[in-house]
Amino acid sequence: MKLKDTPIQRKLMSVILLTCAVSLSLMCIAYSIFEYYTYRQTVKTNVSTLASVIASNSSAALAFLSNRDAHEILNALKAEEHIVAACLYDKDGAVFAKYPVDSPSTLFPSVPVMEEKFWFEGIYLVGFQPVLQKNQHLGTLYIKSDLEAMYNQLRNYVLIAIMLIAGSMFVAYILSKLLQKTISEPILSLEQTARIISQKRDYSVRAVKSGNDEVGSLTDAFNQMLAQIQLQNEEITRFNQNLEQMVNERTYDLQEQKNFVETIINSSVDLVTVFDRNLNYMMLNERADHYFDKKREEVIGKNILEIYPHTKESGMYEDLLRALSGEAVHNARYKSKLLNRYFENFYIPLKDKMGMTYGVLTIGHDITNIIEANEQLESVNAELLKSNRDLEQFAYVASHDLQEPLRKIQTFTQLMGKNLDNEQKVLQYHEKINQAAVRMQQLIQDVLNFSRISNSDEAFIQTDLNRIIETLKIDFELLLKEKSAVINHPVLPVIRGIPLQLSQLFSNLISNSLKYTVNKPVINISVTYPSREELLQHPKLNESYRYVKIEFKDNGIGFESQFNEKIFKIFQRLHGKQTYSGTGIGLALCKKIVENHQGVIYAVSEPEKGSVFTVFLPENIS
Amino acid sequence: MLLFFLVVMGYSAQAQNKPVPEYQVKAVFLYNFTQFVDWPQDAFESPEAPLVIGVVGGDPFGVYLSDAIISENAGTHPIIVRYFHDKDNIPDCHVLYINTKSPERVKSILHEISGRSILSVNELPGFTRWGGTVRFFNENNRIRLQVNVNAAKAARLTISSKLLNVAQIY
Repeated sequence: MKLKDTPIQRKLMSVILLTCAVSLSLMCIAYSIFEYYTYRQTVKTNVSTLASVIASNSSAALAFLSNRDAHEILNALKAEEHIVAACLYDKDGAVFAKYPVDSPSTLFPSVPVMEEKFWFEGIYLVGFQPVLQKNQHLGTLYIKSDLEAMYNQLRNYVLIAIMLIAGSMFVAYILSKLLQKTISEPILSLEQTARIISQKRDYSVRAVKSGNDEVGSLTDAFNQMLAQIQLQNEEITRFNQNLEQMVNERTYDLQEQKNFVETIINSSVDLVTVFDRNLNYMMLNERADHYFDKKREEVIGKNILEIYPHTKESGMYEDLLRALSGEAVHNARYKSKLLNRYFENFYIPLKDKMGMTYGVLTIGHDITNIIEANEQLESVNAELLKSNRDLEQFAYVASHDLQEPLRKIQTFTQLMGKNLDNEQKVLQYHEKINQAAVRMQQLIQDVLNFSRISNSDEAFIQTDLNRIIETLKIDFELLLKEKSAVINHPVLPVIRGIPLQLSQLFSNLISNSLKYTVNKPVINISVTYPSREELLQHPKLNESYRYVKIEFKDNGIGFESQFNEKIFKIFQRLHGKQTYSGTGIGLALCKKIVENHQGVIYAVSEPEKGSVFTVFLPENIS
Repeated sequence: MLLFFLVVMGYSAQAQNKPVPEYQVKAVFLYNFTQFVDWPQDAFESPEAPLVIGVVGGDPFGVYLSDAIISENAGTHPIIVRYFHDKDNIPDCHVLYINTKSPERVKSILHEISGRSILSVNELPGFTRWGGTVRFFNENNRIRLQVNVNAAKAARLTISSKLLNVAQIY
């Protein structure tokens, strides 16, 4: 833990103990150093004094070469424990006497120093003292003292110092523990009070003052501050209450306004969407629930490309980007592939006060019904135009074809009037008139049939084509026998259709094949189910139905390929009435029936090579 | 190690036993007496007056004595050597070496110088008994001193206790 984070009690004690330890240590070190040098000096003085006494005493021994006396004098050094060696050199520098007596000569310097000199050499103090008698130089004393005593004493000093420091620290610890309370306790109590206040937020609590020192004035200031805070708190509370009420009122008003606006927006039949500048959904009105299967809450905040990736290609994304650049975009006709509906879209950039675009408001007005109605109108219009053209053609042709038997009747009636007396001729003309009338009746019947198909309200039901063809075989029984004709067909399907019309279709196609032939007619009917590719070649077919392809192939006279279309028009005949009887309505009727069943009919032929009539009919028309 | 010590000891023993001529030692000793003995003030005519070492009865020292005292002083007094004829009266001197083996002659000289502040020196065994001040004698091949303290006192000579320490007291 760092010092600044430790509790104040510990901090105080640490400061006291540290100060105490440092000052004591410094004192002890200083004292030890002082002692060391003083002691060295003392030892030096002592040894040099001793040396001068010994030297003085040994002058006679040197002067009169008294070895024994010299040794005796040196031996007196025994009393000085720390003197480890000594010797006397004579005038010429030769060793004269040694202490201890039996020590080797190598223990002593071979050449003495002639002057008084002492110095420290490792743990020893060594020195030379000249032996003089009345200034007469008689020799030199060498002395060697070990400093163990000094170091022992120093060791003792250090030990005493350590014990002193330890003892002092202990006393300082006890004292600081007791004394720091006078400083720390008021601070701690103040801190405790402050903590209680900050925890409970009770500003009525007051700190107890312990004395008149700085902490005391801090306590006073703290209490004053508390009083002020309490006062201000009350004011703030009052003010807050007012404010809260105001805010509540304002919030209620705003909520009301918001509800009002939301109600308006949500009531809109248009799809209203707001995007932010990253094209994330910000808002959708309730109308979105009507169109999308995703919940509005799931979509909000997400990017349009994340929710509807296809909008990138649909043009909507581009429009949104344009609107983001600040341009109001209007797309009068947008087709939503997802919904399969049409919208008139408005992209309105939303700008802040600085004029920066922060989003886009999109209003989608559903115009599908209008478009559909338009389309319906167009198709009805087209139908009407076609019907009009058909009618014109019909009127033109009808006037021509229907007038023809009438003119015949008129002509033969006039001829009959001029030849009333000629019975044979009358009978001949009568016969002609009758034929014309029959033909007239046939024409009118066919025209009626034709027009009836257009106005038919009959329902589509399951129709077994096998039954139709079997019935037709019975109907054509005599003709088939007369012409030795053969009809080959497989088992035919059951499809939904109007039985009477389908019967007329088959009847007309078969009778055509039987009529326009010079050989024995052979009619081959085949049934296949066309592939999708084949169906796509006929745009008029409805994609949602399954079609059956029925081919009627004959060995008749055929026709030029240029008449492929013409043969299906009403009253269009390729041959004279005399060669092949017919009203020119049969194939037109067939075409009308097939179209009524949302199918297609076409013919492929070559003169003299027979014809193939192909019919596509839906299996399950609704 | 032992061999080393033996060699060293042997060498030092040899050095110590180097034969020093007897009279060279005695000459030095005579000089040294001037350092350890104080004469009364009236023994000198002036502070600069020389301290005389007298030799009577032939010169046994040769150059040794003059070498020992050459340019030496005893306090303020220069030291000089004088040789006296045996028959003459003993002139003024401070140290007198009596070079004779005749006890009669020694006694007569001692008689002659009694009362004078003269340090007398001789080798005869009875010398100190007869009132001589210092006697040289041999002990273990070393020259030692015997001092008659009363004789010195009578001659008003102050002999340093240090000298007395190394000497035999009669």
